[in-house]
Amino acid sequence: MREITYAQAINEALRENMRRNSRIILMGEDIGRYGGIFQVTAGLLDEFGPERVIDTPISEAGFVGTCVGAAMTGLHPVAEVMFIDFTTCAMDMIVNQMAKMHYMSGGRGKVPFVLRTNIGAGRGAAAQHSQSFHSFFMHISGLKVATPATPYDAKGLMNTALADENPVMFIEHKKLFITKGHVPEESYSIPFGKADIKREGNDITIVATHALVQKSLNVAEEMSQEGINIEILDPRTISPLDKEAILNSVKKTGKLITADEGCVTGGFGSEIAATVAQEAFDYLEAPIIRVGSPDTPVPFSPPLEQFYIPGEDNIREAVNKILEYQ
Amino acid sequence: MATEVVLPMLGITVEKGKILKWIKSEGERVEKGESIFEVEADKVTTEVESPASGILKKILVPENLEVPVLTVVGVITAEGEEIQEKYVAGKPEIVEPFKGAAPEVLVSAASAEVSETMASEPSGSVRAVPAARKVAREYGIDLSLISGSGPGGTILKKDVENYMALERAEITAPKGKERRATPLARRLAEKEGIPLENVSGTGHHGRVTKMDVLKASEKGKTALPGEAPAETLFGKTIPMSRMRRVIARRISQSAFTAPHIYFFTDVEMGRLIQLRDEIVSEYEDQFGVRISINDFIIKAVGLTIREYPMLNASLDGENIRINPEINVGLAVALEEGLIVPAIPRADRYGLGDIARMRVDLVERSRNGKLTIEEIERGTFTISSLAQFGITYFTAILNPPQSGILTVGKLDEKLSLINGEVRTKQVTRFGLSVDHRIVDGAVAAAFLQAFKGKLESPSSAFIQLT
Repeated sequence: MREITYAQAINEALRENMRRNSRIILMGEDIGRYGGIFQVTAGLLDEFGPERVIDTPISEAGFVGTCVGAAMTGLHPVAEVMFIDFTTCAMDMIVNQMAKMHYMSGGRGKVPFVLRTNIGAGRGAAAQHSQSFHSFFMHISGLKVATPATPYDAKGLMNTALADENPVMFIEHKKLFITKGHVPEESYSIPFGKADIKREGNDITIVATHALVQKSLNVAEEMSQEGINIEILDPRTISPLDKEAILNSVKKTGKLITADEGCVTGGFGSEIAATVAQEAFDYLEAPIIRVGSPDTPVPFSPPLEQFYIPGEDNIREAVNKILEYQ
Repeated sequence: MATEVVLPMLGITVEKGKILKWIKSEGERVEKGESIFEVEADKVTTEVESPASGILKKILVPENLEVPVLTVVGVITAEGEEIQEKYVAGKPEIVEPFKGAAPEVLVSAASAEVSETMASEPSGSVRAVPAARKVAREYGIDLSLISGSGPGGTILKKDVENYMALERAEITAPKGKERRATPLARRLAEKEGIPLENVSGTGHHGRVTKMDVLKASEKGKTALPGEAPAETLFGKTIPMSRMRRVIARRISQSAFTAPHIYFFTDVEMGRLIQLRDEIVSEYEDQFGVRISINDFIIKAVGLTIREYPMLNASLDGENIRINPEINVGLAVALEEGLIVPAIPRADRYGLGDIARMRVDLVERSRNGKLTIEEIERGTFTISSLAQFGITYFTAILNPPQSGILTVGKLDEKLSLINGEVRTKQVTRFGLSVDHRIVDGAVAAAFLQAFKGKLESPSSAFIQLT
C-alpha cells in the first residue's frame, strides 16, 4: 500500500469530500494561498477556488462564529484554528454556540461544522503555541472530539467527521503532520467512539492518544523482548469515548497506564483513570499511572521543552513502576 | 422446571466444600443419579450425583471455589428451557437448610463462622490491590494469611492465586502429573535437566515461569550433596495447607470447647499376643489379612462402648446425642497431616472383617482415596504411637466425639509372681474424654472394662463371630 503523511491524509479526505459535497467550505488563517501552516490544505485553493477556500483575518472568534452560522444555514464548513492555543479566542463560539445551538433550538438547528486544530509541543513555539488542552473539549457537552494518531486514522476519521451533521472538534498533532503511514487510496470511514487496539497484549494496558500512541508502541516492542506484553489502545475519538474497549482491556490486563500529551492534572488520563477505577475497580492489580505533561506552561528553552514532552522514557518508567506489581 | 444443583451437606462438621472438577460441562445432558461434579470437603474428595435429568444449563460456581454447603452451584433445566434471570448474574445463592432436616449444629456453626470472619476481618491492615481483594473475597480467603510480593508487601492478585494453587496442589495434585509451565520455562527446564515437578510455580495459576526454573537451577547448584531440601524451610513463612487448616480448626475447636480429662492404665498384653499368634495363620488363610493387635484393640473398644454408651456420644446444643452405631476411627498419620477413617460397627464385625477393613482404610488414607462417609462416620477414635516407642501420651478429642483412646509401646516389665520373678508384656493405654459428657468414674470404668477384655481375651472374643 502507498504511504503518505498525516497532513496529506487529511488533505486527501478534505479534497475527496469537497469534490463530492459542494456544501463543504474551508476557512482559516493562511489556509488558502499558503496552504495552511502545516500544509494540510495545500492545493485546495487551486482546485476549489476562493469561494470555498477562504483565507480569514486573524480573528478566531469571527471566523469560527461565521462557520457556526454558515453551518446552520446549509453549509458544512471546516475551519482551521492554527494552534489549539488560539481556540481560547473563540471559546464562546465553540462552547456556547457551536456545541449548543442544536440543543438550544430544540433540534431544529443543525451545526455540521468541523473545527480543525492541533496540539503538541516540540517545535520551539513556546507556551502560547504548544499546548495540548484537547481534553478541555472532551469536557464540553455537545461536541465530538476526534484525535487521530496515524495517517490512516486521520483520513478515516475526517471522512466520518464530514458525514456527521454535528459539530466535531478535529484535533490533530503538529508533530505528527510529517509522519508517514499506509493510507488506502479509496475512501473509507472510521466510526466515532470505536477504539483501536494498536497492539495486543496481556500484561499492561496503555490507553494512548496522538503522538504517544507511537511512543507507547516503541516501548511495548522493546518490553516484549523481556516477555512483557503491553496492549496499546487508542480511543481515536475522546468523545464519544469507547469505554467498553478500555474496560475490557483493563479487565484482561489488570493494569493501566494512560499516555496523553496534555497536562496530567484534570486531563484525559485522569478521566480514563477515574472511569476505570469506578467501573473496573475489582480488576485492578496495580495503581493506575498517568503519563502526560508536567503541570507547567510549555517551556521555550529547547532542552527544557524536550524534558517537558512526555516520551518513551516516561512510558518506560511507568511500565517499570507497574511491573513491580507483576 | 429448573432444578437447582446444590453443594450437598457433606457431613455434620463440614461447613464448606470446593468443587474440584465439573464432570459435566455447561450445556451437557445429565441423567439423574449420574456424577455431575467432584467436591472436596475437609479432607476428602467425593463425587456428587445429579438431582435431576436434563441439561446442565448453567454452572454458577466454578472449579476450585470454596463455598458453603447448600450453595446453589448449578442449574439443570429441561431441553430448550431458559433459566431464570437470577441465575444469570450475581453471587452464588445459599439454600436455607430445611427445617428439621439439618442438625442445628450446622446452622449455629455456620453463623458463628460468619460473625467470626466479620469480626476478624483485618480491614485496612492488609495492603492488597483491588483485584487481589476481589479474588480473596470470592474464594473466601483470608488475606492476612498471604504474604504479598508487591511493593511494600502489597498483596497482588497472583499472590492470592499462588496461595490457592499451592493449597490445591498440596492436597490434590497427583504426583507426577505434568506441571503447568510457560513454554520458555519448559524449554529451559529441559535444557537444564530440571524436572518441572520439583519446581514451584509463581506465575499465573501457579504456572512455572522461566524465573522459577532459574531459581531452581541455582538452588541445585549451590546445595551440597545430600543436603535435605527441608533446610530451605528455615526462616520461611509457609501458608498452611488446606489439610493443615482443617486440622488446626478442628483441633482448636475441640481443645478450647471440650474440657478434656485424661486416664491411663497398664494392660498386660501377654495372653492377647499369645491368642493372636495362635489364630493369625488361620485367619490369614480365611480372610487374606494378617490380624494385628490393633484389630483386637478396635474390637475390644467396640465391645466396651456397648457397655458405656456415653463414650459413643456427642454434644448437640443442650442435648447429648448417643450415636446409633459404634464406628471406631483410626488416626492415620500422613506426610501432610493426619486423617481418621472409621471402621463401622466395630462391636458387630468379626476380627477378620475388622482386619480387612483396617488394612483397606489405612491404604486408602495414604492414597487420598477415602470417601467423606468413611471419615465422618467415626464415633470414637483410637490413636497409636506404639511404633514410635512412645510410652504413653494424651490426645485431643476428634470433635464431636466424646472419647479417644491412645496406645503406647509394648514394654517388657519384671514382676514378682508367687515369689518368682517373671517378665510381663505391658502396654499403657490412655483415654481422653469430654468431661461435659463423660465423668471420671465412667471413663475409669470404661478403661477398666477394656483392660479386662484385653487381659482375658479368650472369654472376651470367643463367643463372637
